[in-house]
Amino acid sequence: MTKKRKLRWLSRAVSFFRNVTGRQKDELDIAAEVSAHLDLLIEEKLRSGMKPDEAERAAHIEFGGVEQVKEQVRDARAGAWLDTLARDCRFALRMSRKNPGFTAVVVLTLALGIAANTTVLSWISATLLNPIPGAAHTSDLVTVDRGDRSKIATPPFSYPDVRDLSEGTQTFSGILGWHDDSMSLTGVAKPERIYGALTTANYFDLLGVHPILGRAFLPEEGTLRAGAAVIVIGYAVWQNHFAGDPQIVGKTIQINRHPYTVIGVAPTDFTGCRTGLRTDLWIPLSMDRDVWGSNRPDYRSVVWLNVIGRLRPGVTKNQAEAEINLLMQRIVKRFPEDHQDRSNELSLDPLWRSPFGLNGRLYKVLPMLLGLAAVLLLLACANVASLLLVRSVGRRREIAIRLGMGASRKQIIRQFLIESLLLGLLGGTAAIAITVWTSRSIVAFFPPSSLPLTHDEHIDQRVLFVTIAVSILAAIISGVLPALRSSSLPVQSVLKEEATSVSLTLHKSRLLSGLVVAQISLSLVLLVCAGLFTRSLQKAQQSDPGFEASHLLLASYELSPAGYTRATGPAFDRQVLDRLSALPGVESVTLADFSPLSFSIHSDYLQIEGYVPQPHEWMEISRAIVGPNYFRTLRTSVISGREFTEADTQDSQLVSVVNQAFVDRYWPGENAIGKQVTDSGARFTVVGVARNAQYRSLTSPTEPVIYLPMYQSFRPTMDTTIHLRTTGDPRAMAPDVEKTIHQLNPELPLFNVNPLSVTMQLGTLLGRVAATFAGSFGLLAMLLAAVGIYGVVAYSTRQRTREIGIRMALGAEKGGIYRLVLDQGLRLTLAGLVVGTALAVAFTRLLKAQLFGVSETDAITFTSVGLLLAVVALVACHIPARRATRVDPMVALRHE
Amino acid sequence: MSPEQTNLLQGTLDMVILKALRLGEMHGLGISRRIEQISQGTFVVKSGSLFPALRRMQEEGWISSAWGESETNRRAKYYRLTKAGVKQLEEETAKWERIVLGISRTLEAS
Repeated sequence: MTKKRKLRWLSRAVSFFRNVTGRQKDELDIAAEVSAHLDLLIEEKLRSGMKPDEAERAAHIEFGGVEQVKEQVRDARAGAWLDTLARDCRFALRMSRKNPGFTAVVVLTLALGIAANTTVLSWISATLLNPIPGAAHTSDLVTVDRGDRSKIATPPFSYPDVRDLSEGTQTFSGILGWHDDSMSLTGVAKPERIYGALTTANYFDLLGVHPILGRAFLPEEGTLRAGAAVIVIGYAVWQNHFAGDPQIVGKTIQINRHPYTVIGVAPTDFTGCRTGLRTDLWIPLSMDRDVWGSNRPDYRSVVWLNVIGRLRPGVTKNQAEAEINLLMQRIVKRFPEDHQDRSNELSLDPLWRSPFGLNGRLYKVLPMLLGLAAVLLLLACANVASLLLVRSVGRRREIAIRLGMGASRKQIIRQFLIESLLLGLLGGTAAIAITVWTSRSIVAFFPPSSLPLTHDEHIDQRVLFVTIAVSILAAIISGVLPALRSSSLPVQSVLKEEATSVSLTLHKSRLLSGLVVAQISLSLVLLVCAGLFTRSLQKAQQSDPGFEASHLLLASYELSPAGYTRATGPAFDRQVLDRLSALPGVESVTLADFSPLSFSIHSDYLQIEGYVPQPHEWMEISRAIVGPNYFRTLRTSVISGREFTEADTQDSQLVSVVNQAFVDRYWPGENAIGKQVTDSGARFTVVGVARNAQYRSLTSPTEPVIYLPMYQSFRPTMDTTIHLRTTGDPRAMAPDVEKTIHQLNPELPLFNVNPLSVTMQLGTLLGRVAATFAGSFGLLAMLLAAVGIYGVVAYSTRQRTREIGIRMALGAEKGGIYRLVLDQGLRLTLAGLVVGTALAVAFTRLLKAQLFGVSETDAITFTSVGLLLAVVALVACHIPARRATRVDPMVALRHE
Repeated sequence: MSPEQTNLLQGTLDMVILKALRLGEMHGLGISRRIEQISQGTFVVKSGSLFPALRRMQEEGWISSAWGESETNRRAKYYRLTKAGVKQLEEETAKWERIVLGISRTLEAS
């Protein structure tokens, strides 16, 4: 049976192929058979004694219509539907060519709606869905994080813990750890700052990344005692610094003035495990001692590693989470003193919301933007649906004739749907062209900064596939109503009454009115979102960050790769400050180990005098290391006590300044001056309280910060950032600053030389992305709604030309006619505004978490958006209303 | 159409054509004449049904066709049963007999 079925399929498939390819031959064959058959029939009749003309007529009567028979044969053959489809497509193409203006408007509307979606989708595809380019099966990978992941982005694990978890687990096929660090590529003409990672030896194997040259790390290269000086370099480093040298494997290069043997080159697209952030090269973490002189891998209390694990096949995230927490509890029980200050609760996350890299931030914003884009597309569909509906009314006669000639309702619907599918696919094609350009636009939002950002937004297969699917869906959504409407025409009356059927028009315009109301309400939703985002961004930018960003130039350097130590570093820093403050145009200058609003502030575990932490309270607190005059230079006022001076050195008493939030949190109602805070075993006495300043983001709640003086807490491995307050344009000072530093040390790379007002843009990145996109979606939506309302009012006014003519003939005033038309449009607008407001109130509740300083039902936004839309609608209605007043009653009445 | 003539039951046309071809290869007109003859004038197969059916059955692989010459030396397309067609005929005949039997029993019962 199955064999038989297979044969039948084969037979049909062969016929199908023949029918499709041998069309011409087949047609000839059918014609030949029909005429041969007729000849035989005639011959038969002649033989029975008929006269030739009699015989021929009788044969034709018996045979029936030649063309009908041929058509029936055509319908019987395999793939007949393909013919019908081709015919409908040809007709659709002809229709769209006949009406280029209409086609252009529809295609453009759909293209914009689809492009908004595919643009956001291309970002999602490049970040959330492709979290580690170049890695295999990223859906099996999960990040392992510790404690409340939303708060602190510092690496969560010590090396011994990672090792023990990795050896104990049954649910993971492997666990890898790595530490991101800035390094210097030395031993080349111009030393350059690059971003490296210290990794466990299984790093590449577990990710499934295979070097394109050489090999990845061997297990023994990861063991602590044998620390091998080997390095895998990234494709970009290989190309940019070693000119793509094919013999690079086996050669020696220098990192932080330490020699390494290159063992491999990573593939083009692989840039590490943090989505959106770049890693340039990889070193086994056993090299920590040699390179940094520290022994971080030896200590269970030193947390410095980010962790990713690969789940075994069939293991769920929850199972793995349960197991790894159990393992962690055992470790904590064995080494309680190394785990006492912090949460030991482990949580697993899929990579699309990995806390390491940009996904942790993007995964909330991008889906929201996609939601807005979907609303825009719906609106575009409503717009196209009303355009199609208006046009279908114009095609009533054509449809009625086709129905009258025996076309079935199904055929009419199919014809209409194919027409809108064609428009949809044209729109989709245009959308892809637009997306090629817009998908890269996210790059424009990133200011120059010290973060090694990468952008890999492009149109991949996934985006292409979804674009096509969305185009088809949009075509169906916007085409189905007009198709259903048109196919149920009362044929008789249409043909008889021509276009004067008033009842029919009114009947249709109810549907049209509904679509206009939908458009206005959807555009109100989008405009309200845009307004809220914009106001929230404004509020954020206007809010007082607690420091003064204007006239400040930043420039960073790192001392340890240039050979400075804890002993020689402070002296160099002093020289820098002395030289820079002597430059003309410099008001004051200071140093810090971070800069505000660029994700660069660090944090430390603190013990605070007189404060007993809650159980499981996370005592990792923002810690800033700053030079003398920091508060004066940043214009952050010191409320009580004093700020740091040149006199706070390694030889004097250890001091600190805390911010107001610190005092409010840990010593509420007490005098902070004189209290003590312990950081890494050293006790710092509080000598001043500064007012609050925002360092992580403008919109997050103010958090406690402790400031330590540069010369007392000097670490050569930290990035030192010069903060230079100028009297004029800070940019103009940049060359002088660079010259001064290079006079002191020509070998020291100075990086990220930018005004603070530029770099702090990173802090409002997501707000700007959201505001810009919601804003452009909103404007587009308004434009579409305006076109929509204009179209419908203009159309129905034209339908009422006769009525208006009669009214005028009966003595109606021009003003009355004007109001008549305007009323119709304004009623629709009002309905749209009411529905839209209700929708917007429901929708904006979802945005609450993303807003700053404005309520999600902000009255100003709602009112001004409503007014704006009303004005736009008024203008859109004004044009047809004025045209209506110019109707000549004589012409109007004779017209039909 | 005379009162004794009737249209073929839905779905039986294929079977009747296959049956007609059982005796040997035949052109289109021959097939319809044969069916009239063996049904003693009960069934008339119109060209509008015959040709689409022949086409469909060819695509199913039950019959094959070739151009040839008629008894009167005219060009005509000849159809013949294939092995699959013979089997199909047997299956349909068996099925038909079951149906007829079933219907007769039902009618007798009442």
